[in-house]
Amino acid sequence: MQWSVIFKKEMVEYVRNVKWIWVPIVFLIFGIMDLITTYYLPKIIESVGGMPEGAQVNIPTPAPEQAFFMSIGEYGTMGILIIALVSMGLIAGELKSGVYELVLSKPVKYSNYVTAKWAALSTLILTSLFIGLLAGWYYANILYGDVSFGTFIGTFLIYSIYILFFITISVFVNTWFKRPGMVLFVSLLFIILVNIITSIFGHYLTWSPGHLSSYLNGYIHTGNVTGDLWGTLATTLFLIVILLFSAVTVLKNKEM
Amino acid sequence: MSLIAVNGLSKAFDGKQVVKDLTFQLEPGKCVALLGPNGAGKTTTLRLLAGFTRPTEGNITFDEQSLSTDIRNYVGYLPQFPVFHNWMTGMEFLIYVGQLSYLSKSEATERASQLMDRVGIGDAKKQRIGKYSGGMRQRLGIAQALMNKPKLIMLDEPVSALDPIGRREVLNLMNELKKDATILFSTHILNDAEEVSDELLLLHRGELVEQGSLDQLNNLHQTGKIELTFSDNPDSLKEDLEKLSTVEHVDVHNRSVNIITSDEDATRKELLQYVTAKDLPLTKYEVAKTTLEDLFMKVVSK
Amino acid sequence: MGLEDINWALIAPLIIVEMILLAVALIDLIRIEETNGPKWVWAVICIFISLIGPVLYFIFGRRQ
Repeated sequence: MQWSVIFKKEMVEYVRNVKWIWVPIVFLIFGIMDLITTYYLPKIIESVGGMPEGAQVNIPTPAPEQAFFMSIGEYGTMGILIIALVSMGLIAGELKSGVYELVLSKPVKYSNYVTAKWAALSTLILTSLFIGLLAGWYYANILYGDVSFGTFIGTFLIYSIYILFFITISVFVNTWFKRPGMVLFVSLLFIILVNIITSIFGHYLTWSPGHLSSYLNGYIHTGNVTGDLWGTLATTLFLIVILLFSAVTVLKNKEM
Repeated sequence: MSLIAVNGLSKAFDGKQVVKDLTFQLEPGKCVALLGPNGAGKTTTLRLLAGFTRPTEGNITFDEQSLSTDIRNYVGYLPQFPVFHNWMTGMEFLIYVGQLSYLSKSEATERASQLMDRVGIGDAKKQRIGKYSGGMRQRLGIAQALMNKPKLIMLDEPVSALDPIGRREVLNLMNELKKDATILFSTHILNDAEEVSDELLLLHRGELVEQGSLDQLNNLHQTGKIELTFSDNPDSLKEDLEKLSTVEHVDVHNRSVNIITSDEDATRKELLQYVTAKDLPLTKYEVAKTTLEDLFMKVVSK
Repeated sequence: MGLEDINWALIAPLIIVEMILLAVALIDLIRIEETNGPKWVWAVICIFISLIGPVLYFIFGRRQ
């Protein structure tokens, strides 16, 4: 009841500040941009000219699966940046502006406050991701060849976990700092560290969330969910729960 | 039985004591003013009671229960500078905080509408808070503090940002609210405190220097003050007056004389005898009382 | 390759979606009371930097 009040308030806020329009559009563009530019790149280079006589423009056309994975590549960088920017004020903004004095002086359960906001943000981002990936999948099929609908659904489900992981990092960091800029910086640093640690100790940490996108690449090509992928998904989900729980605890004990 | 008992409450920020060893009780149905100059620790005290910050020492007991139950169920709080979600309308915000306080949507809507009328911004129900003026925000702030029908209403400097008319209206509203709830409000203006409060907590540098009802404090600190004015400045007046047995202190400014006395009646007799005997040109004889203002100034200038 | 080689049916959706984004940003800019920084600067940014401009406005320009 209290949870859904906060969730609905967030949703209305996303409508009023037009996030429900611009975030899906931006994710849609990220989903198809690379596919289109890669498709036309050889032709563009040819038409611009300036190539020496007889030079061959030789850019191999990617396989359909490879092309579809380009969308994921875009979300892994630009998508993460947009998510960090959209979520940097989720809780920190209310702490900084002082709205919290009115909201949290009511008998609001901190767990409701944190998880409802987390869920609302996740709904916005995952819906946008779904639309963007769907468009990416559609363009991959038209421009490069068949990728099955099942693969699209599987890709969305698996990558959602990674995106949720990052959203949760940002929510967690939101409870630490009052300055949204600081939240942005630290949450990006956090995910970069996860990826660096994974690339250094990847042989040991085979279930690190940092492996998710490379395992996902394998899944798109083979259609098999390997043991490592299952393990990584389980680890990531576990970390999401831990981070959420910690966020609630930190906020509850915070001197405001 | 007290509604809230505060015992040995202390708060330090980075080693600096902001509130020191506060002990007081709030009786139900009383309006209590937390009076003190800026920086006395008023806001910190209220925030401790609202649960935004935890005491370094001491405890707060609500209604004979310990703080294990959520105190926020019974408390309405208005910060000194309330900030709202500016994209909401006044009604939407009140309904939102009402629902956060476990009112149903219809209850919250009804109460929000009543409160908006009661605090005098009934015309702005459907207007976005972003367009509200400062005075309207302060009123909306009071309304939101009342949404959950609190037993204790805490208001941080509720009138200091308002113009004289707004101030008058809010003070009247507080007088009305006393009927249903206990009010604890902070102010640095003695007049405001005297006007609506039954009791005073005088805070200075984080310490509770005086507490009690207005009458108690008045009686406790009252010393007689007699002011005399003469049409002509008599010689050796100061020396003579100081010889009178009941006079404690004499101040002479030109033709007027201020006398502080412990026993006003006895001093009057002595004084008038003296004036008659010397045939002094007395034009004014006035008995004044030391006010809370004198007390406030005495405490603050210490 | 000339313009006629480009399959507009494929690129049109991208352009339309970018135009929608721009339109939403400009309409929002007109309706909003206050922005961080002058409104006209944001209008220029939105119009001249495609995709990034409106996104910058939504994140940094709107006063929350």
